[in-house]
Formats: sequence, C-alpha cells, structure tokens
Amino acid sequence: MLRRRNLLTTLLIVLPWALLLTLWHQYPATRYLILLRSKFKDFAFSTSPLREEGLPSCNWQQTSGVAPKVIQNYVYSRPPPWSETLPTIFVITPTYTRPVQKAELTRLANTFLHVQNLHWVVVEDSPRRTNLVSNLLEKAGLNFTHLNVESPQSLRVGGSWIPSHKPRGTLQRNLGLHWLRDSFNSTQPPEGVVYFADDDNTYSLELFEEMRYTRRVSVWPVAFAGGLRYESPVVSPAGKVVGWKVVFDPNRPFAIDMAGFAVSIRLILERPQATFKLEGIKGGYQESSLLKDLVTMDGLEPKAANCTKVLVWHTKTERPMLANEGKHGFSDLRMEV
Amino acid sequence: MKVKLKNVFVIYFLVSVIGLMYALLQLGQPCDCSQHLRSASDLMHSKDKKISQLLSEVKRLQARGKGPEPEEQALPIIYAITPTYTRLVQKAELVRISQTFLHVKNFHWIVVEDSPVKTQLVSELLAQSGLRFTHLHTETPKEHKHKENDPSWLKPRGVEQRNLALQWLRENRELSEEGVVYFADDDNTYSIRLFDEIRSTKRVSVWPVGLVGGLRFERPLVENGRVVGFYTAWKPNRPFPVDMAGFAVALQLLLANREARFDLLAERGYLESSLLQSLVSIEELEPRADNCTKVLVWHTRTEKPKMKQEELLQKQGLGSDPSIEV
Repeated sequence: MLRRRNLLTTLLIVLPWALLLTLWHQYPATRYLILLRSKFKDFAFSTSPLREEGLPSCNWQQTSGVAPKVIQNYVYSRPPPWSETLPTIFVITPTYTRPVQKAELTRLANTFLHVQNLHWVVVEDSPRRTNLVSNLLEKAGLNFTHLNVESPQSLRVGGSWIPSHKPRGTLQRNLGLHWLRDSFNSTQPPEGVVYFADDDNTYSLELFEEMRYTRRVSVWPVAFAGGLRYESPVVSPAGKVVGWKVVFDPNRPFAIDMAGFAVSIRLILERPQATFKLEGIKGGYQESSLLKDLVTMDGLEPKAANCTKVLVWHTKTERPMLANEGKHGFSDLRMEV
Repeated sequence: MKVKLKNVFVIYFLVSVIGLMYALLQLGQPCDCSQHLRSASDLMHSKDKKISQLLSEVKRLQARGKGPEPEEQALPIIYAITPTYTRLVQKAELVRISQTFLHVKNFHWIVVEDSPVKTQLVSELLAQSGLRFTHLHTETPKEHKHKENDPSWLKPRGVEQRNLALQWLRENRELSEEGVVYFADDDNTYSIRLFDEIRSTKRVSVWPVGLVGGLRFERPLVENGRVVGFYTAWKPNRPFPVDMAGFAVALQLLLANREARFDLLAERGYLESSLLQSLVSIEELEPRADNCTKVLVWHTRTEKPKMKQEELLQKQGLGSDPSIEV
C-alpha cells in the first residue's frame, strides 16, 4: 500500500513538468529564437539551415584522399562567364620587370582564367605602365586593372638578387588597396574578398573557392614558406585559430605568409587606415603590419579543411642564366621575352 | 509544519501546478514573437530571391554552354609527354601546368614518372585534373641517375621516360589517327597560343624558346618560310640546336619510324638531335610562331625550396606531418 502511494506521488510530481516541457517545445516563438541565435554565432561548425549553399564547410570535408572536384564543364570556354551572385575575388599582384616576368604573368593568367568572378589587379613597380604587361593583360581575356607605382631606390629589387630583408611590393599592394577603396562605396560594399598573389607562387583552383566566402579574414597553410615543408595556423578542435605552426619567429602577431590569407572587401573598406607599413618593418612582419589593424587572432577563419590541406605553394623561379648575352646583348631586343 | 518528506512533496506539487497554470494562461496571450517571425520570414524571402536568381542564371549559362563547335572532333590530338620525378616542388609544378593544359582542346597528357611504382600523389592529381591522361612509370637505371647535389646538366634527364611514352604511343595508336607529340617538361611555362601552333604540325615544327641556352631566347632562322639555320650561342654546331620545348613531331611520323628514340648516351645538348636526325632534315622543318619571331614558351626553372628549418625540426624528431601532402 505504501509503495503504491509513493509511486502515485512521484507520478503526480513529474506530470506537470512533463506537460511544461512539451508545451515549451511546441511554442513557435522559442523555435525561431533558437534558430536566430545560432545564426549570429560566428561558429565555423554551425549547421543551421541558414548557411550559404555551396560553402565548402570544414564539417563536410571527407577525410579520404579524394578532394572535391572543382573543374566543371567550362573547360573550353574562358574565362567563365561573370556571375551576378558569386562574390568577386580581387587578386592584387605586384610585379616588376625582369626576364621571367612575362612567363610568370602568363602562367598566372592561365590559372586565373579558370576562376569565376576574378578581378586581377596588377601593379607594376615602374614609373609607367609597360607595354609588355599592358598587352599581356589585354590579350588574356580576364577582368583586370593595371596600375603602377615606382618604389624608391632604397626599396627596389632592381637587377641585384641579393636577398634583402626590405619588404618588397609594399607600395604596390598599398596602391591596390587604395584603388579598391576609391572604386567601391563603403556603405554598399560589394560581396568579395581580396587576395595578395605574388607572381611566382603556385595556386590550386580549389584555393579560390575556399577564400571566396570569407566573412572577415580567412587563413590556410602555405607550402615552402619559412624554411619548412609548409607553414600553417594551429586550429583548435572548436575551429578557431590559436597559434602558428612555424619555426621562423613564431612570436609574430600573424606568423603567416602573404599567400596564406584573404580579407573580405567589406573589412578593407571599413578600415581605410589599414595598409602595409613601410617603415621599421622587420623581415616577416609585413603581413602582421596589415592584419593587426583588421582582425585579432580569434577572428580568423581557418579554411582548407581546418588547415590540413596545402592549396598554395610558395614557389620561386630561378634566375635564368643569361651569360651568353654578354655585355652588349646578343639576342634581338625587339623580340619580347 | 514538520519537515517531513510528504510535506516536501506536497509543496513541490503545488509549485509545479501553479507553474503549469501560469504557462497555460500564457498560451492565450498575444505573443510578442512577431518580431522574430518577421525577421525569420525576411530571411526566407531573401533566400527565395537568391534561389530564383541562381536558377535563372543556371538557365542562362546552360543556354550559352550548349553547342560545342563541330570542328572540335576533327582537331588533331596534341599528346604532351611530361617526364616527372618526386621532389618537393613536384605537385606544385604539375598543378600549374595542368591549369594551362586545361585550356587546350583535344589534349592528351602522358605523364611518365621516374619511379618503380605509380605514386599516389601523381595518380590523384591526374584523376582530379579534368584532363585526358595516361599515367606511366619507369625508373632510370642507377648509373644514369643524378645524385643529390649533381648539377642539372650533368646527365640527361627524362630519357627513359620519354622513350617509354613513345613506345606507348606506338603500341596504342594507329597510323590513321591524326595527332602531334610535344615534349613538355613540368617546370617550363607554356602560353595557350603555343598549342595552336603545335596542332598544325605536318612533320616536325619548330619555334623560339625563351630563357634558354644562356640567352633571352633561342630560335630557328627562317627565310622564305623555311628554316635555314639556328640562332643560338651554345654549341651551335649540333645537328638540331633546339631545346626540348622548341619542337613538335607529328604522331604519324613517329609511328612510321618505329626505331626513332632519344639516345641515353648522347652527349650533353645532343639529346634532341638524337631523336630528330632520324626523323627529318633541316629543310623539312616547319617554322611556326610567326616565322619564329614570337616567344610562346619559356624554359623556366623552379628553385629548390629552402628547407633549413624543416631539417632542424626533423633532427629533433619534430618534423612536419608527413600525411599532409605538399
């Protein structure tokens, strides 16, 4: 008799709470509250239904060796037609005249011709725009902007290939940023991302799709940077950047190569004072001089399967041996090389 | 009231009933969730708009993409033979030339690894490249191999591999098939226009190559549409002083001359001649690239990346994750 009474009392106590819980879940307003809250969380692992389609989220990457196929049916039509809905990728490439320049720009153009909605901003280190680059850009068929600014003698690479620790391409990249800020209204920023692509690196096509939907600043590993097989950000299991897997000066605020990050246009336009600094920048700190004005480490978005895939290589092209040209030149200078 | 368990339960029960009554009463009230509903429905609307935009764009692109040119089928196939070997920059090199080759119609890439087995790196790269390809491999015999710090010109490289590709073509292609064979090393730079020039080859065609032979460019000298000599500063007395990237051979010519191949024991710089002299004479060469006045291919070379820090780490047993492919 006593046991049954206990049972009855427990039942009576549990009943109202059960009813309350069921009512709470059926309440429509609370359902939306949950959804909206998860939307505004800056969470790389969010699985809310409000995410953009086609985003290669870190969640969905397969761990097998097969990467998602990026090449589609447009192989023979170049460049792919401009889309009104895809965010634009603005690629800023500083370049300077030397024997391999045309070759480097040619193969870069061949790569970029596969990327949809890409706008190439080429900034020459020269007092005026050269015919070589102008003709190349016009024939390539890409959307481009051709700028130029001359570096003062103290910063120039020039003919000597003594590896200098002075930052190279700084003025040119800043001019590219300046052009972006001039061309676009910060109140109605276009959807897009800015990437600094040097003319001797190698870029996989997958890289551009990874960076396309950057919200603020995204990062990924870079091969052959800093004397390592690859340099990479360290990503916590929660999907946040917590450090840098580098050997060369790991105490830099952003120990990352120029090819290892991309910044959203909106952020560039919101912070007009963010540029690469020229004065007093030690070797390896150029990237930090820009990024510190844009974002903090926990605001970085890791891409490339949580920074476990290498999609860009910091290759360098050998200086060609031109000894047989002699002092006065041997080959016909009218032929463009 | 005594603190008996029964009393505790009674109080507990009363509190829960009151809470339930309160919640039930709330049901009847007008909720202020309209704001949430509105923003949610706004989101739905914008998503719908985006979806319809994307759909219309897909339709537009499909309409444009229809109808490939009919003469595509008739274009001679370009077979590019690329010998390759495992080193740090291998994947990067293959990635960037594949990006160039993707622009070339009717293209067939023959990649020959200097390796006893087909490596996973190259196999996966080829499978994802989107190109038509053939993957071969053969190991260079030890006495002809380079040692770690040998300069690149010490022994001829890629000879066995190119010969294997030639053999494959002879075993798998008929004389009736139109095609052109080009030897494309994995570190050179090719413009897209070059392949238009290659495609029209009848026997052996030649053109200038940039940044080779110690010069800005080497090129054949052309008079009245015929090759009369060669503009080069290094060993100009070779039978064919052209670089590997500076000529292409019609497939039919190779199939008809089944013994023509590269000579492993050829002297430095005579590798190209060892193949060409059994195929063609200088008078029969076809000049391309505007009578050999335009540079459409560059003999670029990629630096060996500095691995100082990596080597230091490896000594401490802290090297980079080898499962991450570079």
